[in-house]
Amino acid sequence: MDLTIRRRDQLFGYFLTIPGLATLIIIIIFPISFTILTSFFDYTLITPNHDVFVGFENYYEVIEEDYISDSVVTTAQFVFLTVFIELIVGFSIALSLNNIHRFKNIYYLIMLAPLLMNPVVVGLMWKMILHTELGIINYLLKIINIHRFNWLGDNSLAFVSIIFVDIWHQVSFMTILLLAGLSALPKEPYEAAKMDGASGLKCFIHITLPLMRPVIIVAILLRIIFSVKTFDIIYIMTKGGPGISTDLISYFIYRSAFFSLDISRASALSVGLLLSVIMFTLYLYKNMNYTNKHG
Amino acid sequence: MKKLIILSTIFAFLYTSHLHAKTIRILMETVPDTRYLQELLPEFEQQTGIKVEIEAIGYVDMHTKLVPQLIAPQGSYDLIVVDFYWVGEFTKAKWLMPLDDLVKRDNINVNRYIPALMNLVGRVDGTIYMLPFYNYSMAMVYRKDLINDPNEKANFKAQTGFDLKVPTNWSEYWKQVEFFTRDKDNDGKNDFFGTVIQGQRGDCIAMHWSNFLYAQGGRYNANNGEPLLNSAAAISAMAYYKEAIAKYSPEGSASYCFDEAFNIVAQGNAYSLTTFNIMYAGFDDPKSSSVVGKIGIAPNPGGGLNGAWGWAIPNSSTQKEEAWNFIKWAESYKIAKKRAMLGGAPTQSKIFNDPDILRERPYYPILGQVLAGAQEFPVFTYTTEFVEKVGRELNLAATGEKEIEEAMNAANKAYRKLLVKDGKL
Amino acid sequence: MIWFLKKHQKNLKLNKINKFTSHFILILFSLIIFLPIIWLLRVALTNKVTAYKIPPEWATLNLNNFTEIFTNNSFTNYFINSVIVSIGSTAIALPIAASMAYAFSRYNTGGSLLRIIVLSTQLLPPVIIVLPLFTLYLKINLLNSITGLILAHVTISLPFLAWILISFFEGNVIYLEQAARVDGASRLQAFLYIAIPVSSPGLIAAGLLAFILSWNEFILALILSGPQTNTIPVGLSSFQSHRGVDIAPLAAATIFSIIPVFLLLPFIKKYLISGLSLGALK
Repeated sequence: MDLTIRRRDQLFGYFLTIPGLATLIIIIIFPISFTILTSFFDYTLITPNHDVFVGFENYYEVIEEDYISDSVVTTAQFVFLTVFIELIVGFSIALSLNNIHRFKNIYYLIMLAPLLMNPVVVGLMWKMILHTELGIINYLLKIINIHRFNWLGDNSLAFVSIIFVDIWHQVSFMTILLLAGLSALPKEPYEAAKMDGASGLKCFIHITLPLMRPVIIVAILLRIIFSVKTFDIIYIMTKGGPGISTDLISYFIYRSAFFSLDISRASALSVGLLLSVIMFTLYLYKNMNYTNKHG
Repeated sequence: MKKLIILSTIFAFLYTSHLHAKTIRILMETVPDTRYLQELLPEFEQQTGIKVEIEAIGYVDMHTKLVPQLIAPQGSYDLIVVDFYWVGEFTKAKWLMPLDDLVKRDNINVNRYIPALMNLVGRVDGTIYMLPFYNYSMAMVYRKDLINDPNEKANFKAQTGFDLKVPTNWSEYWKQVEFFTRDKDNDGKNDFFGTVIQGQRGDCIAMHWSNFLYAQGGRYNANNGEPLLNSAAAISAMAYYKEAIAKYSPEGSASYCFDEAFNIVAQGNAYSLTTFNIMYAGFDDPKSSSVVGKIGIAPNPGGGLNGAWGWAIPNSSTQKEEAWNFIKWAESYKIAKKRAMLGGAPTQSKIFNDPDILRERPYYPILGQVLAGAQEFPVFTYTTEFVEKVGRELNLAATGEKEIEEAMNAANKAYRKLLVKDGKL
Repeated sequence: MIWFLKKHQKNLKLNKINKFTSHFILILFSLIIFLPIIWLLRVALTNKVTAYKIPPEWATLNLNNFTEIFTNNSFTNYFINSVIVSIGSTAIALPIAASMAYAFSRYNTGGSLLRIIVLSTQLLPPVIIVLPLFTLYLKINLLNSITGLILAHVTISLPFLAWILISFFEGNVIYLEQAARVDGASRLQAFLYIAIPVSSPGLIAAGLLAFILSWNEFILALILSGPQTNTIPVGLSSFQSHRGVDIAPLAAATIFSIIPVFLLLPFIKKYLISGLSLGALK
């Protein structure tokens, strides 16, 4: 009797996933297999065919590529900083929004605005605002007698600038998710805690955080994935410079594919990226879920 | 009865001509020249019955959009414009249709084009693949009101012993750059600059720095094809570049590209700038400049970087004959002249001598000089990769992150590797 | 009794401080987020030379750029296309993703492996999948079509929608479903009539994010669409050229692409910001 129910459960599960899987397989799996396949051949825009098999040569070339380790390190730093800061800021905003009545709609609309802006325009807008001579920020700094900053032309400052711009652009992503999670939380645990005289902070740590765990994990994972793909801001604002200080890996790959015309090398890079992020995601996911089940 | 026959004939004619109305699709860049062409399109459609659909997108995305269409056996575009940058790549990949037969068949005189342009976006290794559409070679823009100001003239003479005039050699120019960099509001920081460097990594610095190279008498290649990026001239050019960034150009210059630099001059904060000659018109547009009427144009000492776009018919085009008709029409003297009158950047020599044009655009003789002295940028299969790699090294040197010699050697090595890969060495 | 009243007063005071802090945080971040956009609006109402003038000049404000983008740049077309593609792809992706997410959550279909595989389809930089996708579309004749673009957008929204929705199907809703099943509801009924309504905040949030993703998606739109089917991001790129950046019309176009979504919001805010009494820090 028990088996039949489980069997029926499984069948229903398959029934629900088939449409999604079918779409993914048709549209995405082909390009992915193409990419993986191509990474083992010599496929360039000059010779767009799979005639010449080169095994792992593309991968060796990728590892030996100038500055690739710098790019990986820069990307890792970028991803960590943006996701971490966005989590904190996004959570604060979500908690605050959840806590008030008045003006909620207005705040929400304001928060939403940057996300609706095309990344290219975000880049152009901030390039204008951060212009060293003609930008409004340096002008305001001058008025209050603070020294002007070389936002995009100084190595370390450029890195900080792109992190700031990315956070400005994407923090609402976290906010939307976390707020939705917060609004779905049940009342009872809080009421019970109030009866016992628990303070707000204690409520947060012992009730909110554990209950929000699934949503937080998803938000972090997705943000990491999108962060690794950050491209437009670099392309518009710095082109990986000054020097190599903002050379993120997605821009690196773009240069290989479209500037070097070497699709096979870009494919190898992408496969490498794909594998690393998958492994990292798997590791994070398994760990977080493990503690969840036992927590 | 007669009326009916006439009416039906007319109707039948209109109907069938509509049936046969072909449409050619062109991918172009959103620049004024495209707009001028679009204004003149109705003439073409009337003459030939062919409808033209121009799809205009921004420069940065054209290459990305074109490549898949060119690889496919049948693409969406019957006609394209090719940036000189991509010429090597497109021809090596055999994406463009050779035009020699058509040129011969229809008696097109390709000598009507300025030779430098025909070499850049016309012939590749002896075969004609394109016809030059418009040019954007680099030239120097400067504040002619300052050069003509008697006070400035007196001060300059007193300070340097030389006369203040349009510079014809590098050392003269550099003295002017130094002279004009000043702190106008006495707050301890310079706010008026002798020149504006466009040092952003990638194609911005590669194209801008080239002018410094040519001014030092340098070249990208020796006559035997060997790369010269670590020559004395190149190193000297980079030394000047660094000095400019440090002393004579706004603080963020290492990350500026053409637009940022344009705005500095347009806001009246700089004396000179080396940029695309097509940006010159922007300085006289009250919507984008506050120095209208104050900007002059002159050739870069030693020659400026040559740049242009050419018409080409992709092999994946499905209407090659119609596309060719369009090219012939757009490049006919009458239409080319009309485009120039509207403000386009011409490619045919005769236009520079046409009296009507000279009246409308009095600076054209100078433009002719600019084109006559324009220098070649290395165009081969791997130009885009070359620009990326060299652009990176140039930026590292310009920002002081790498020693000049080390960076130029690295750039030269990278360039050589690509030349070997392309079979040029 | 007095103890209770005293505690109540203390709670009220804490409540007030709490609310004050919340408003403070919100105002602070709202300013940081909104001021640059106000600046952009200002640029949209002037022209290039005024936009870059330092010190800033406030005199000339006009609507020229807005009229220009509609007459010169076929912006209306881009806008309509974007609306169709974004709403279309979200409307299709959401039910499919919800079904998948439910299966992943309730029945652990395919285990962690399938989930990770589904997610990993998001990991490739778009520029890499562009070429093979183009070839595929060429073969099945979906190039330059709205349908093709909608389909492509569905596939890039699907994985992350599914992942978001998984977390919303876990929690109290499980007990509600079990109660319903005991009362005789079928699996499908439990899914459609319990799980979906209860998780509506999550569904709406996910739908919103998917819409935004599609709205801003650039590279697939660039490659897979033709002149009639270009979307806003592609149109925006036309403001950059060898002549520089046409910052003022660009700003106008951007402002215009944000506004309509704002108009959409009142309809969904009901579901989005619901449950004020749920889970608040009192």
